[in-house]
Formats: sequence, structure tokens, C-alpha cells
Amino acid sequence: MNPPGPLGALEKEEEHSSTPILGPSIHSNNPQERIQARRLRIAARLEARRREALGEYLDGKKESEEDQSKSYKQKEESRLKLAKLLLCGTELVTNIQVAADIREIHRRVEEGEIRRQRLEKLENEVKSSQDKFDEITMKWEEGKRKRIPQDLWDMLNTQQVHCAGLIEDKNKLISELQQELKTKDDQYVKDLKKQSDDICLLLERMEEQVRNVMKTFRQELNSIEKAFEAERRELLTSNKKKWERALQAHNAKELEYLLSRIKKVEDYEKQLNKQRVWDCEEYNTIKIKLEQDVQILEQQLQQMKATYQLNQEKLEYNFQVLKKRDEESVVIKSQQKRKISRLHDILNNLRSKYTRQIRQFEEENQSLTSDYIRLVTQFKELQKAMRHFALLDDKRFREIWLMNEEEAKDLISKAFDVDRIIHTQHLGLPWTAPDFWFLRNVGPISQQQQRSATQILEEVLIQTEEEGMEEATSETESYLDLPKQVSMKTTRKILMLLCDESGFLIESKLLNLLRPLEKSECYLLKLDAIFSALGIESEDDLYKLVNFFLKYRVHHSPSSQISPWNLSLPQERTSPMSALDPGEQTDLERQKEGSLVGGEPEEKEVPPSPTLIHPNDVLKILEAFVMGLRKPRDPPAPVKVVKYVRDTSKDSAYWEALATVLPYATQNLWDALYTALEKYHLVLTQRAKLLIENNSLEKQNTELQMLLQQYLDSKINSELHVPPTQVLRAPTK
Amino acid sequence: MQSMQATLGTPTSSALSRFSTSTQDKSSTAGQTSSTGPQPSRPSIIPPPSKSKGWGTGASGGRMRRIIAEDPEWSLAIVPLLTELCIQHIVENFQNNPILKQLLPEHKQKVLDHLSPDLPLAVTANLIDDESYWRRCCTQRWPVCHVAKHGGSWKRMFFERHLENLLRHFIPSTTDPALILELLPLCRNYVRRLRVDQFLPPMKLPPRPRSGELSESGSEAEVEEPATDHYQLGDLVAGLSHLEELDLVYGVKDCGMNFEWNLFLFTYRDCHSLAATIKACHTLKIFRLTRSKVDDDKARVLIRSLLDHPALEELDLSHNLVGDRGARAAAKLLSHSRLRVLNLANNQVRALGAQSLAHALAHNTNLISLNLRLNCIEDEGGQALAHALQTNRCLTTLHLGGNELSEPTATLLSQVLAVNTTLTSINLSCNHIGLDGGKQLLEGMSDNRTLLEFDLRLSDVAQESEYLIGQALCANREAARQRAPNPSCFLSPITAKGPENPAG
Repeated sequence: MNPPGPLGALEKEEEHSSTPILGPSIHSNNPQERIQARRLRIAARLEARRREALGEYLDGKKESEEDQSKSYKQKEESRLKLAKLLLCGTELVTNIQVAADIREIHRRVEEGEIRRQRLEKLENEVKSSQDKFDEITMKWEEGKRKRIPQDLWDMLNTQQVHCAGLIEDKNKLISELQQELKTKDDQYVKDLKKQSDDICLLLERMEEQVRNVMKTFRQELNSIEKAFEAERRELLTSNKKKWERALQAHNAKELEYLLSRIKKVEDYEKQLNKQRVWDCEEYNTIKIKLEQDVQILEQQLQQMKATYQLNQEKLEYNFQVLKKRDEESVVIKSQQKRKISRLHDILNNLRSKYTRQIRQFEEENQSLTSDYIRLVTQFKELQKAMRHFALLDDKRFREIWLMNEEEAKDLISKAFDVDRIIHTQHLGLPWTAPDFWFLRNVGPISQQQQRSATQILEEVLIQTEEEGMEEATSETESYLDLPKQVSMKTTRKILMLLCDESGFLIESKLLNLLRPLEKSECYLLKLDAIFSALGIESEDDLYKLVNFFLKYRVHHSPSSQISPWNLSLPQERTSPMSALDPGEQTDLERQKEGSLVGGEPEEKEVPPSPTLIHPNDVLKILEAFVMGLRKPRDPPAPVKVVKYVRDTSKDSAYWEALATVLPYATQNLWDALYTALEKYHLVLTQRAKLLIENNSLEKQNTELQMLLQQYLDSKINSELHVPPTQVLRAPTK
Repeated sequence: MQSMQATLGTPTSSALSRFSTSTQDKSSTAGQTSSTGPQPSRPSIIPPPSKSKGWGTGASGGRMRRIIAEDPEWSLAIVPLLTELCIQHIVENFQNNPILKQLLPEHKQKVLDHLSPDLPLAVTANLIDDESYWRRCCTQRWPVCHVAKHGGSWKRMFFERHLENLLRHFIPSTTDPALILELLPLCRNYVRRLRVDQFLPPMKLPPRPRSGELSESGSEAEVEEPATDHYQLGDLVAGLSHLEELDLVYGVKDCGMNFEWNLFLFTYRDCHSLAATIKACHTLKIFRLTRSKVDDDKARVLIRSLLDHPALEELDLSHNLVGDRGARAAAKLLSHSRLRVLNLANNQVRALGAQSLAHALAHNTNLISLNLRLNCIEDEGGQALAHALQTNRCLTTLHLGGNELSEPTATLLSQVLAVNTTLTSINLSCNHIGLDGGKQLLEGMSDNRTLLEFDLRLSDVAQESEYLIGQALCANREAARQRAPNPSCFLSPITAKGPENPAG
């Protein structure tokens, strides 16, 4: 029972020792190994494709793989062998235990059987003995009943015999049992012996096992070691071979290199020699050249030194000069600085002055603006006054006119009287009074028609003034010039239309600015912009535009028909003015007046329908107008001049007519008469003059005589060295 | 093996002499003193321990070298250093004045190297932790030392074996119990396992068996009254705070022809005291009580005390007289503890006991190993166990050798083999499986991939099927080895089997 403990321990140890050898098994590992090998092979192939040059390396690798597998095999083999050995060994050892077990079982079975038999036997014995005993006890009862001693004795004897038999039986049984016990004891001894034998066997086997296992382990270890060594050796040899091969190759290469190197060295030596010789020659030549150069350079150096000295002196001189200058410049600089500071002060002063002036000017500006406003109001008042004065002037003008006319007429009548006197008295001719139209004329000539027109216009003017249109004031003059054709309303309407339709002429910025303003101001500014765009500068142009519009509407004719008419308009106006005689001019004026007066109502009938100008036509009209305006624009000055001259010319003509009431013949006659009379008068006057002279001389003479007397009488004369009397006497003498 | 026997033999030969240990100690100490005797006389001239070292250190102290022509024993070695002398002195007087902890590590080591292994335990036990010292102690006392069996600790080994030795040779009412209890405070921290393979019964004439002759002791024992109690472990076990394993045999070893039934009496008092002891010992993991004539009642008493034990993992009651009732108690223990190993080998468990065990096993999740060798559970019990194994998912080792099993159990077991994936080892040796049963088992094996060992020796199975089963096992083993790359895992079942063998 004891030994198995150590056995187990030993076994354990063995197994422990065997464990490290148990590597991966063949059956399980081989496929993996194979897979690994395949993978490696694939990798190797890929590698080989990549670099075919390194074939040797691959070979070596393969070899090593094989070797590894060899050692693996060896390991696996030995491992399996050892496992088997261990298994068998343990089986062998445990066999004893198993055998003991089965023996024990058999023993138990037998024991059980024997015990059962024994028990049966004992029970039978007990039963039989009990029977016997019962019998005996029964017999005791019988014996008690026996009275006969003989019988009793017999019975006792038999009873004794029975008892002895019983006891004998029992003794027999006991002896049997004791026999059995003895055999059991023997068997116990035998068992002990057997067990000790078993233990001995077990020990033997275990030792054997241990020995075997150790031996085999050693063997396997040796074999594995051998395998490894062989592998190693192979590896070594292969590596050595490789190494040697590599070494040989290396040596060969080295030799090659050496030879080539020697050759190269020789070559280089030759080249070197050549080069040396060549260099020597070159060196000599260069040396000579350089020596020459050195000489030259030395000369140059001397020269340079001389120049250098010269320069040095110069420079020193310059340096001195510069120093001086520098000093001067320092002085100047300080001066400049001072100046700068002064100027700075001045600048500051000026700045302050400037700001002050700005303020002053601002104030001035404010005062001036207020002045301006004031002046504007004054101007307006002045205008009002002017209008008032204009009316007054008109009246005065009329009065003066009438007065002058009257005077002229008086003069004329006087002249006529003179003429009549001359004719009747001096010439003795019958005189007839000349009958002229202007003689009957009273007041300004055209004034009456003009006034009617201006009056109408003034009404319109007032209206426009009320609206604040400044242009209207300027337009009044134009209306004064050509007022008969268009009414204010129509012009206004036309202008409004123009304003609405030709918005494209206005700049968008201006529109933005105009938005907040009043309607009228808006129109005004817009029209201003449009006129500037169209090139309408003067009131005349404006009027022309209005007229053009009306004409266009009246004729409903294309612009081509209008333009010639338009062109002819100035011609009509200019030509008669310049060409016509004053006499004819009056006629023409009359006609014109008549036509104008006649035209006006015609025109005035039309304006009530200004809507007849379709907004769409406005642009066409404008285009035509602009086309037409370009040409008349060239000679604008004469037109204006004529306009102004005409006004006065009428008067002057009138007045000239008045002046020339007397014809030239009479004038000539008068002139001649005048000259004759003049001469006559001259004679008379000379005569008179001489008379006066005579009188004065007489007077002078008397006076001088008086003076002389006075001088001569004075005392001074006596005091003088030379008395003036003597001097006087001499010249007078 | 022989050496082991020798180790076991030598103590036993001197064991029966009562004061063997003490005398041995004395003799050894005496020997030691005699050997160390010359030492104190010499130090005035040259201390022997430093003699060898003197050569090494001679170079440094070359200045002090002198030649004394008169002294033949003079060598070139120098006079030892003061530290050496001090250490030597400490070593000499260690018993009276143990100085160790205050020393520098190197000096400590020197002291430990030179300390005598025969110093009284009272001095050394709690002072010296150095393994090398205890190793010297062990090797000096016992020629064979398996330190691995004692957790690799020499100190633990020394104390365990020392205590075991004392217990083995303790004779109640003659040996002084204080002898053991004195040791308790010294060894309480180091003893984890107590393996006592004999308890001597009390004797009338103590001096006589001292010679160690068993024949005399046996004859003496015959005279004694049959009612004999053994040493009560209670006090000792209660004092051992780290005790994990208790392996007891209430019997006498090597009695040979002096066999007496009295020598193997496990009395009720013993039983009760032991039950109380193991109940009180909460650190106990392994409890073995073998070859001690434990019958049903005693087994029940013991097992009742083990119910709901916090740490117990292994229970071994092999080679006793446990019957069905005891088996039923063990079955109850299975469901009331975390028992992992149960060994009831060589008992008298029959079908009923096996059935109750099977019932407990069916839903158990702790038990790994069950050993019912050399019982008589027969087919009924075998079938019940087989049924239980169909649901059990924990058991790995099952030993049913020598149980009078036959074909029906084999058929059921073959079904189990096909289903179960936890079993790794089955032993059906010494049964009457028969040829057909063998074939059926072979069929079952063909579907099994986990079983590594299947013992069918001497069970009337055809050699062919046994061989084929062996092949299947071989394949399974390879597969298992592949599954676990660490080979030690694979070997664990074999090694686990190791300790079972000595039990059988």
C-alpha cells in the first residue's frame, strides 16, 4: 500500500520531464506545416521573381526548411514513442493494482460464498442442534414423569449420550471453524507474502519503468540531439560551402580588381609622368612670363605709388577743404534749423491765422448769404418796383413822346411857317403845306398793339409768378417779342407734356433728388434739365419749340414740311428788316401787325384742344425740332440784334420821318439861303465886331493914358537910375 | 522508491521507541558539538571558517602578513576580521542570545550559513525565515525530501514533517501531550498540511516497546482493553491557523505478523472528537481518513460535521467500511458543500448508496472526481450513475473499477459517452462488461471527442474493441493537446490520477 505514493511521484516526475519534449504532433501539425510550407514556397517564388539574382539564398532557405522538418519529425517520433512508453509503463505498473483488485474481488466473492455456506452450515447446525436440544429438553420432561429409576437412569444415559453428541457436534464445528481460522491465518500470511511479492514486483516494475523511461528518454534525447546536430552540421556545411563559394568569388573579384587597379596605376603613372614633364615646361614658361609681369607690375607699382602720394596729398587737401565745408555746413545746418524753427513758428501762426480766417470767412459767408437773401428780396422788390416803374416809364414815355411829338409838331409847324415865310417872303413862291401821315399821328407808333399783347401776357405772367416759375419771367420778354401766337396755358401744357414724355433726357440721379420736392419745382427743374439736353438756351428757342409744336399739330404734316418753313422763318424776319426802306417798312409793319393780329385769334382758337398732340408724337416732334434747331442755331446773333434795332428803328424812323418833314430840296434851299445869310450875317457881325473893337480900343486908350499918367506921376520914378518914362518914351518913340 | 522506503523505514524503526526524536536530536546535537568542539579552542590562533576565506582576502590585508616559524599550523592567511569574529561568536551563542534581525544583510547571511541545524526550535522557529537554513535542517534529518510536496517551502516542510513525526509516535496516556502543544506556537504559521499515517493506541507498558520491536508492542496490545482512544487532534488543529489538508489513518503501520484488531480501532470518541475538530477548522480544504474502519455511523457523524463547510474541496474515505447509509450521507454532502473530489474507494457501497450518489450527482456542479473503486454498486447503481452523467456537466473523472458492473451499465455508459463532453477519464476495470458491452462502449467512444482515459482492463472486453477504444482515446488526446497549447493542461488528468494510485 505504501509504495504507490513514490511511484506516483516518480511517474509525475517522469511525465513532467517528458512534457517539454512533447511538441506539436504529426497528425495535427502536419497539415499546418504543409500549409506553412506552401505559403513559404509561394512567398519564395514571388521573391524569386522579384530578384532572380539571389538564387543561392533561396536554396539555403529551402534546405533549412527541410532540416527543420527533419528535426521536427525526430521530435514528434520520439515524443510519440515516449508517450507510448509512458502509457505502457503505467499500464504495466497499474496492472498489478488491477490484478490485486480482481483478486480481491474474487476473494470477496469466494469469501462471500464460503461465508454463506458457513452461515448455512451454522444455521443448519443450529437447527439440528436446536432440534436435538429440544429433543433432549423434551426428554427431560419425559424423565420427570419417569418414576422408575432404571428408566430414569437409562434415559439419563441416553440423554448424556445425546448431550455428548451435541457437544461433539459443536466441538466438531468449533474445530472446523478453528481449522478454517487456521487456514485463514495461513492465507493471511500467504496474502502478506503475496502482497509483499506484489509490492516487490511493483517496485521492480517501477524501477524497470524508471530505468526504461530514463533510458529511452536519454536515447530519444540523444537521437533528437543527434538530429539537431546533424541538421546543424548540414547547416554548417552548407553555410560553409556557401561561405567558401562566396569567399572564392570574392577572392576572384578581388584579384580582378587588383589587376585592374595595377593596370590603372601604371596608366596613371605614365600619365602622371607626362603631365609632370608638360607641367614643368609650362611652369618654366609661365615663370618667365610671370617674372616679366612682376617687373612690369613693379614699375606700375612705383607709378602707382607716385600717383598714390599725389592723390594722398590731393585728398588731404580735399579733406581739409571738406572739413572746412563741413564746419560751414554745420553752421548752415544750425542756421537752417533755426530757420526751420522760425518757419515752424510762422507756420503755426499762419495756421492759427488760417483757422481764424476760416472762422472769419464762415462768418462772412453767413453774413453774405444773409445779405444775399436780403438782396434777393430786395431784388424782388426792385423788380416789382421796376415793373411799377416800367408802367410809369411807359406812361412817362408816352407823355414824353406826346410832348416831343408836340414839340416836334410845333417845330414842324414852325419850320412850315419858316418855309412858308421863306417861300413867300424870301423866294416869293407859293407855298403848299405838305400832308404826311405822321403828322396826324399822336402818341407812340406801335405801342398800342404791343401793350394789348403785354397785358394779356402779364396776366399769364402773374399767374406763373404766383406759381414761382422763374423762367416765365424770362419768357415774358419772349412773349413780348412773339406773344401773339401762343397762350400761356398752351405753352404750359405743352411744356408739361414735354416734361412727362421726355423723362429719359433727365438723369436718374436728378430724379432721385427731385422726388421730395414740390410738383411745380419738380417740373421746373425737369424742364431745365430737358432744355439743357435739347440745347434750348434762349427764350427764343423755347418759343420756337412751342410754336413748332403748335404748327405741327395744326398742319398735321410731316416734319419735313415744317422744317423749310421753320428755316424760312428767320429769313422772312431778317430780310425785310434790313432791306426795306423806312417808308416801306411802315407799310410792312402795318401788314405784319395786321397779319399778326389776324393770326392771333386763329391761334387762340386752336389751344383749347391741346390734347390733340398725342403723347406719342411728342418725341417725333422733338426730333424734328432738334434737327431743325441745329441750323438756325448758327446765326443767332443777328436775329437778336435785328429784334432790338427794330424796336428803336420804328421810333427813329418815325422820328426821322418827323425830322425829314422838310424835303432835301427845301433843305438845300435853306442851306443855300443859310450860307448866304450866313455870309451876310458874317459881314454884319464883322462889322459889328469891328465897331465893338473900335469902341474898346478907344476905351483902352483912354485907360492907358490914365495909367501912364498915374505911373508918371508916382515918386518912384524919380528914385530910379533909369526912369521908365525915358524907356517908355524910347519904344513909344 | 527504495530510498523513499528507507526514509519511511528509518523513522518507523526508531519511531516506536518513545523518545526517538529527542534522543536523535540529542545525539545529533552531541555530534554537532563534538564536531564544533575544536572550534572554540582554536580561534585564538586561526579560526577555521575564515581559513578558506583568508586566502581570498589575503591580498587586501597583505600588510599584516607575518611568518611564525615556531607554529607549524601557521599559514599565510591573515588574522580574521573583527566582523568575522563577531559573526562567529553570534553563531556560537545563538541559542542563548539570538541576534539576527539587527545584522546587515550580508552578515545575516553569513550567520545563517553557519548556524547549526540542531538549534532548539523555540529559538529558530519564528526568527529564521531563511530557506537555506531550513533546507539544511531538513536534509540533515531526512535523507529524502520532496520540498515540492510542501509548497516548495523548506521551513514548512520541516515543521510539517516534524509535527507529523511527533503525532505518529504519540502514544496516548504515556507521551506528554504538552510535547506537541509546546510546538504549536512555533509551527502554527507554517503548517498547512498534516499527513499522519498512523495513530498509535495507548499502551500499558511504555518503556518496553521503546526498542521498536513490533512483536512486543503487539503482544502488549493484546493484553490491553479493547476500548482505546487515540490522540485527540482538537487542540492541535485549532491552533494551526493555516491548516488546509488533513490526512489521517487510524491504524498502525507495518504491524506484519503482530496483527491485532485492536491496533485498528477507530472508536466513537475518536470519531466525535475528529468530527468536532474538522468542523472547527474552517481553513480545511482536503480531508482524508483512510484505512480506519469508518463504518456507516461514523461516516455519518463525520459527514454531518462537514455539511456546509466553507472550504472543503476534497473528501477521501477510501478503504473503510462505509455502506449505503454512509454513501447517502456523502450524497447529501455533495449538495451541501463545494466538494470537488469524493473518494469512496474500497468501501461497501451497494446499489442503493450508488443510486443516492447518482441522484446527488445529477444536478451537482462542483464535483470533478468520483471514485467508487472496489465497491459493489452493481448494474443498478451503475445505471443510476450513468443516468446522472447524462445531465451532469461537471464531472471529469469517474472510477468504477471492481463494481460488478456488466453489459446494461455499459450500454447506458456508451450513450453517456456520446452525449457527455466533460468526462475525461473513466475507469471500468475489473468488471464484467463482456464482449457485447465492449462493442457498445466502442460505439459510444466513436462519438466522443473529450474522453482521454478509459480503463477497461480485466473486464472481459474483446481485445479488438479495447484496442480500438485505445486508438480513439489516442486521437482524443491529440485533439485535446491541440486545443490546449500548453502541454501541462493535457497532463493534468494523468497527474491527477497520480495521487489516486497510492490510495489504491
